[in-house]
Amino acid sequence: MMGVAEPDKRAVASFRTKLSAAMMLVVFALTALGLYLAQGSVATSAERNLQQRFQAELSSLHRLQEVRHAALAERCRVLASKPRIHAALEDNALDLLYPSAKDELRDLMEGEEPASKQAASTLHARFYRFLQSTGAVLPPPSLKDVGMLSTAAEAQLALKKLPNKQQTGYLSRAELGEDMVDEITVVPIFSTETGDLISALVVGFKPFELTAKSATSGMKSGIWVNGRLNLPSLPKPTQDALASEIRNVVTNGDRAQNNSRVRVNGTPYLLFFKQLNPDSLFPPAYEVCIYPLAGLIAQLHRLRLQIGAAGALLLLGGFVASHFVAVRFSKPVEQLAVDSEQSRAQRKRAEAALASTAEELERSTRYSADASHQLKSPVTVLRTGLEMLLAREDFSPEVYEELSALLHQTHRLTGVIDDLLLLSRLDAGHLQIRPEAVNLSQLVEEWLDDLSALPDSPEVRIEKQIPAKLYVAGETQYTSLIVQNLLENARKYNRIGGCIRVAAQMRNRDVCLVIGNTGRPIAPAAQAHIFERFHRATSDSAASGHGLGLNLARELARLHRGDLKLVRSEDDWTEFEVRFRVAQPAPDRAS
Amino acid sequence: MRWRWLISFKAICTLLPPSVLAEAAVEGRVELPKSHSAPVMAKRYEIITRGGVLATQPPLAVVYLEGSFPKPKSPATKQIAQKDLTFVPALLPVQVGTRVEFPNLDDTYHSIFSYSPAKRFDLGRYRPEERPIPSEVFDTSGVVTLRCDIHEHMRGLILVVNTPYFVMTDAEGRFRLRGLPSGHYALKAWIDSKTTREKPVTLKSGETVQVNFP
Repeated sequence: MMGVAEPDKRAVASFRTKLSAAMMLVVFALTALGLYLAQGSVATSAERNLQQRFQAELSSLHRLQEVRHAALAERCRVLASKPRIHAALEDNALDLLYPSAKDELRDLMEGEEPASKQAASTLHARFYRFLQSTGAVLPPPSLKDVGMLSTAAEAQLALKKLPNKQQTGYLSRAELGEDMVDEITVVPIFSTETGDLISALVVGFKPFELTAKSATSGMKSGIWVNGRLNLPSLPKPTQDALASEIRNVVTNGDRAQNNSRVRVNGTPYLLFFKQLNPDSLFPPAYEVCIYPLAGLIAQLHRLRLQIGAAGALLLLGGFVASHFVAVRFSKPVEQLAVDSEQSRAQRKRAEAALASTAEELERSTRYSADASHQLKSPVTVLRTGLEMLLAREDFSPEVYEELSALLHQTHRLTGVIDDLLLLSRLDAGHLQIRPEAVNLSQLVEEWLDDLSALPDSPEVRIEKQIPAKLYVAGETQYTSLIVQNLLENARKYNRIGGCIRVAAQMRNRDVCLVIGNTGRPIAPAAQAHIFERFHRATSDSAASGHGLGLNLARELARLHRGDLKLVRSEDDWTEFEVRFRVAQPAPDRAS
Repeated sequence: MRWRWLISFKAICTLLPPSVLAEAAVEGRVELPKSHSAPVMAKRYEIITRGGVLATQPPLAVVYLEGSFPKPKSPATKQIAQKDLTFVPALLPVQVGTRVEFPNLDDTYHSIFSYSPAKRFDLGRYRPEERPIPSEVFDTSGVVTLRCDIHEHMRGLILVVNTPYFVMTDAEGRFRLRGLPSGHYALKAWIDSKTTREKPVTLKSGETVQVNFP
């Protein structure tokens, strides 16, 4: 049993390990998937949030710009309708244009502070200029009131022709060693007299700071124009690198608005840009917003760690849970394994026993058959010799008597050998019967006649109660042997003055033949063994027999799908009952 | 008022005996641009701009004799009033050196100025009761556009000519210049700010020359 349980435990342990491993794998896969999805969604949503913030800020900037443009347009409209401005423009008094405009634009220019401190949200302009009808800049008589502007920067204001609607542009310039960008608005001035485009007013403002309020978000914004990026909060090399990046993106994509990831000096940035002045006569300018991804990446990293830790915890929990589940699941399996192992061992033992039994049976059967055959010839020789001796006439009568007894013994021996031979064939399963309808009534009658004719038969009364033409299924030879054995026994174990009763009757599909006889009954302890081979009901040597008869009779009866059993044996009466299958008589026999 | 003045001028002309008028005279007709508006019953002229050209509406012309004439000893004084947010008269021809007063006859401020090359001036804002009446001396010939800084639609024209001999046509374009010295001159007709026609005339004392500007 221990030898069986040992591999069992190993198998169960292996099953448990596999189960836990599978469950761990599932948990791990789920965790990994969750981690991946969470990370992806976090990254995407962070990017989307930034994009949305950029868009929101841009749109608010555009609203501010629109307000400014509207205010400016109104200002210009008023300005353009001013008699002095008109007088200056129409009456060829351009030298009086700036002085005349000075009063009109005074509130636009006044409160001029250092440009860096100037609040962008106000309508305070940094400078203004008028354009001639050719599009060239009208040089101001003095820079005092119109705002400082270098000659190179002023030249950038010139247009090929005057625009007939408001334009927005951006001017990138280096003033006093400081890079700065101006948002410039050009408003056309139409003559109220001719309706012609006579001039245009260019006003430069400090651009709106896109992320002035949300400086803490890490988002930085600037303006890219003419290949230069103005983003003062970044170091100069980074600005230049970003500017060329943006130039690439802008020139390649030709998209008015986009976002992309750029890597500048090894630092990743999320880059948004949108053209500020579509359909403008001025060079395209882009609002550029960069968001250093380092923070986001760190945040993602932290998040990844957190999720990883959570995943590890989950995994641990999953491990414990799966272990418990595996143990619970494996218990019945373990039991099953133990049971099956035990039953397999038992079956193996039984199979081995069966095999050896069959082998032994086979061997003994073969032995019996061989022995019977080997015995038959010497017995025949012996009997022939005895009969020849009996045929001689020169022996004394005692010798004849002795010879006759010996001859009788050889007959007995032959009978035993025949029985053994038959039994061995039965045991080996070689005995095949070809059932036919046997007239049992006739068979019994014949044997009863033979019985009374036997020389040493005691005086017994025979009662018979057999219906005529009772047919049973069987082979005549073996059916006859059964009946003979039973009748001989009934005579052999009878007492003097006893009786033999033979009765046959139909019962269902069977024919029951009951043979009873008077005489000393079989001892109760021996009754169970009377059908065993070489068993003798009594040790009474006077009764002839070799202990194979009942056994053979029963085997034959069973071969005929019938049976033989002892009905009772008591009070001077022993009764056997043999059952045969009933058969319809063959037509030739019935006639 | 100007109409009245014209009428009185005509009356004087007819009343004066020919013997007094020993000098030459020019008369004729200036072909005026067609007026697109309906005939104006109220005899009020104003300056209109069409295509950047200033002219009176209905059209009037100024005919003047160009030459070198002695300057007057005492500068003349003329007036252009601001009344009902217009300049009255809308077109005033003056000789170089004439002082023009700009009385304000409205109940509001006016701020008369001009950026014209012939005369730049700025009278600033003033009320009707401003005394002395704001005035300017026009000593360069040319067209001076008058504007009001407060009322952007107001336009007035002063035609400064370098001659004492000038006259405004009537609504049909008829004119008559008298008391002219004899000799060869150029007779000019100013029709609008961009159009001035010119014809040579030879004047003889006591003769009236007919000149028509097509």
